[in-house]
Order: sequence, then C-alpha cells, then structure tokens
Amino acid sequence: MDEPNPESVRKMWNYAEKFAEKSGTHLHPDRFITEGVVLGLASNIDHFGRPICPCNFYPVKDENGNWPEGLYLPREEEAKRRTWICACDEMQIYKYCHCLLFVTEEGLPITEHLPDGHEGREIYGLVKDPTPDKGRALGRVIERQQHQA
Amino acid sequence: MAEVREVTDATFDSDVVKNDLPTLVDFWAPWCGPCRMVAPVVQELSEDYAGKVNFVKMNTDENPQVPTKFGIRSIPTLMIFRGGELKGTIVGFRPKSDLKKRIDEALV
Repeated sequence: MDEPNPESVRKMWNYAEKFAEKSGTHLHPDRFITEGVVLGLASNIDHFGRPICPCNFYPVKDENGNWPEGLYLPREEEAKRRTWICACDEMQIYKYCHCLLFVTEEGLPITEHLPDGHEGREIYGLVKDPTPDKGRALGRVIERQQHQA
Repeated sequence: MAEVREVTDATFDSDVVKNDLPTLVDFWAPWCGPCRMVAPVVQELSEDYAGKVNFVKMNTDENPQVPTKFGIRSIPTLMIFRGGELKGTIVGFRPKSDLKKRIDEALV
C-alpha cells in the first residue's frame, strides 16, 4: 500500500476542513478515523485522478475490460462520474457520510434527511441535522425541482 | 492475544467455507474510516468467542474476487458463515453489543 503524495494529502485536508465548515458538519473527532479517510481520498487522487470514496468496494475489470453488474463501478469508471467523488451524492443530497468524514460534533453521521429504508438509518438510527440551514446543495435543487413540477 | 488473521481470495474457501467453526469475516480496506473503528471491536470479539467462532479479515483492495461474489458495496461489511453458508451480513460500524447479538443469532 503506497503512501499518498503529500501534496494530494494536503489538498484533501484543506478540502475536508472547508467542506465541513460549509456544510455545517464536523470532521470526525477521532483523528485516526479522519486521517484514514483523507489518506484514502488522496490515494485515489494519485491513482485515479479524483477523490473517490475509500469506504466502498469497487470491483475490478476483467481481462476483456468488463466488470460485474449490480455493484459499484471499477474505480477508473467511478472517477468519470460524480456519484462517489467526495463530497459524494449522498452527502450533497442527504448530508450523510457513511465514511464518517463529515459528521456531527459527537462523531455520528447525519441520517435525518435519508429516505426510509436507507442502511444509514438502520445502522445509526435517527441522527438529527444540527445545522439544517447548511449543506445539501444538490438535495435543495432536487426539492425545488420537485416543488415546481 | 492473537491477531485476527488475514484471508485472501485464494484461501477463502479453505479458511472460511470449509472451516469447521462458524467464521466471521471482516471485509475492510486500509483507508476506510469506519473500518478502523470496527477492527478493534472484531479483535475483542475474537477473544470473547475464542474456540467457538473463527474471526478473519479480508482486505478488499487486494482481494476483489470474494467481495464481488458476495455483492459487497459498502465497507466495512461483516459476514458470518456456518457450514459453508452465509448466515448473516452486517454493514457499517455497530457497537459490540449489536455484533454479539448478530453472532449469537447466527450460531443458533
């Protein structure tokens, strides 16, 4: 396992701190947890060009360049989309970070905005959003579109 | 205190599927925050259940075949096998008491 480039690590720390402030969340109070995620994001920048979430399993392509269906995509394919690029769609829509990078002051992921049946609710129960006026940029756009339709 | 042993795509069958003991597999990755929270709990459980349940871990970054076969998406994911069959799946970090309950259910 290669150590990520220090410049990528610096970039990710900077991004994480700024995004936490902007979204009204906190970085996990246990620095060991946060550091792991930041290093994972930085490593994915080094290898795939984008900060892909390090808390998912991404299958690999076979010798013909194909990959299994029903799972997430191989990392190089996820890097072309935005679903799991930090801050991921779940964070931008629901303010939920399953990687525990952006959490409440107590270190819990916010689950209040998740849809029923989402695994985050099952794992953590209802965790209220302490700053509902911040974050969820994509979620707000979707809600506006639904309201106008 | 024995460390929870690593298994690989190559050894999964012999270490887990054909193991006489029920086996809990911790699917993890090096840079995953919640995996870092689960690991010490799994270590404690391996001591609590010593001789009754086998505890192993698999690095999903280095071993893609087994996680693909079992449809893993989020990590950490814990899976409990008994008699070669999957008896339970636990996704994400859970407190030790929750994990004990799920292991005990899988042992019945």
